[in-house]
Amino acid sequence: MLLIVGPLAAGAAAAVAAKRSGRPTTRQRHVITVYRPLSELEVTQLPGSLKEIADRVEIRLAAAPGGRGTEIAVRIPDGSEVTDGEVRRALRETRSLLEAGDVLLPSGPPATTPTLLNRPLQTVTQHGREGGLL
Amino acid sequence: MKALQWQGVNKLAVGTVPDPELRNPGDIIVKVTKTVTCGSDLHLIGGYIPFMEKGDVLGHEFLGEVVEVGPDVRRHRVGDRVVVSSFISCGNCWYCDQRLFSLCDNGNTNPAITETLWGQAPSGCFGYSHAMGGNAGSHAEYIRVPFADVGAFTVPDGVSDERAIFASDSASTGWMGADLGGVQPGDVVAVWGAGAVGQMAARAAELLGADRVIVIDRLENRLAQVRQHTGAETLNYESDDIAGELRERSGGRGPDVCIEAVGMEAHSPGVQFGYDQLKQQLRLQTDRPVAVRDAIHAARKGGSVFVLGVYAGFVDKFPLGALMNKGLTVRGAQMHGQRYIPMLLERMAKGELVTEHLATHVMPLDDAPKGYKMFKEKEDGCVRALFVP
Repeated sequence: MLLIVGPLAAGAAAAVAAKRSGRPTTRQRHVITVYRPLSELEVTQLPGSLKEIADRVEIRLAAAPGGRGTEIAVRIPDGSEVTDGEVRRALRETRSLLEAGDVLLPSGPPATTPTLLNRPLQTVTQHGREGGLL
Repeated sequence: MKALQWQGVNKLAVGTVPDPELRNPGDIIVKVTKTVTCGSDLHLIGGYIPFMEKGDVLGHEFLGEVVEVGPDVRRHRVGDRVVVSSFISCGNCWYCDQRLFSLCDNGNTNPAITETLWGQAPSGCFGYSHAMGGNAGSHAEYIRVPFADVGAFTVPDGVSDERAIFASDSASTGWMGADLGGVQPGDVVAVWGAGAVGQMAARAAELLGADRVIVIDRLENRLAQVRQHTGAETLNYESDDIAGELRERSGGRGPDVCIEAVGMEAHSPGVQFGYDQLKQQLRLQTDRPVAVRDAIHAARKGGSVFVLGVYAGFVDKFPLGALMNKGLTVRGAQMHGQRYIPMLLERMAKGELVTEHLATHVMPLDDAPKGYKMFKEKEDGCVRALFVP
């Protein structure tokens, strides 16, 4: 468990350390590949939550090599209040809408019981599409 | 409804949970008629994969009857008898298009955990922790199945529940090991593990034309099943010299394809097991990779090793030198069920793939905690415990 939880904890610790050192904790640039040809996509017509933040970030589209679809790159400009988490969630949801026509919702209603030990995991899963490395 | 819930490390109980609901238009609700234990569940129960919450419903290998369909579902209707892939896949992303369904980009609602751990997130799975999406499992009276047109398959009339259920995961996993491991006619294939997945891998290797298939385990009742139902040869690692036997039975070359169907809680005789067990219990490694080490060492030069057993994180004493210097190809994957289930159901209907013997213990869902205890302790020759909700 130490080795599994380790990388997650290390990521959080690195973010805290970076904040204290004055270095920016945001990546500012995020990119995802969507399995749809560039010819079918337009920055202004992207669906889902990416559309909601489109006027506060910079979005660029480029053809992915080898017929892999389209790379959607998002840059958070200096001064924008949009967070990395919002961009990650928006990119993932937009990809799912473009590819699958829908965004998968979690199982429900929940069968779990909140406990002290569950709390960190529940915090992570409540923002499941906002975290990670994307 | 009634369901088997994870209540803490090594604590299971049957409880009452809310009925599942359609959440997406491509969902169906399935009334579970058969649901079966899997060795990989033991990693969750034992706390080796620490992403479970108290109350989570276990189970990912199942079959049942469609009782409700979402408005976008086209391939299924109420009353269909379906077997469902344990992994949830959208069918439309690049990975699904490559038929690598367990790598689907859109089937895991919690990609952050596995992306942080492994660099990229695989898809979601039923009843397999919040790292795999936190989807409610099949050890329940009902289950929600997302992307049902992609992951649920109607069972042909001539195939029994007890046979078809293993297409859901075990047979798909085993077939994938032989297929993506590159088994060719004339090959010598060695399979570590004589559980359901190992037996299915052995049978797949035979059907793909392997000349000799050799299955390795320590449990005689499982090895007897291998001999009776797959026709493969067997070796017992507690009494046989595995490396020497494999070398001898492959003309000194070593097996062309080695399939590992054991996973992170592997056993072995001698000091290696003690070493791995100690390091795992001290959390200095997450997995006990004994069978993977043996497979890499045994494989012929230029051969392949396919890792089917479930691993979570990091291992020690990995034989990278043998891998590199022998020019091996090592692959692994969670199972791409959608790729194989239709073909497996056809083979099951023709009698080429027999699985009923794997469900050695059939019991009501109320007895599931007892069933898991028997399964874990291998009591009474338990290979798989099958629950009837």
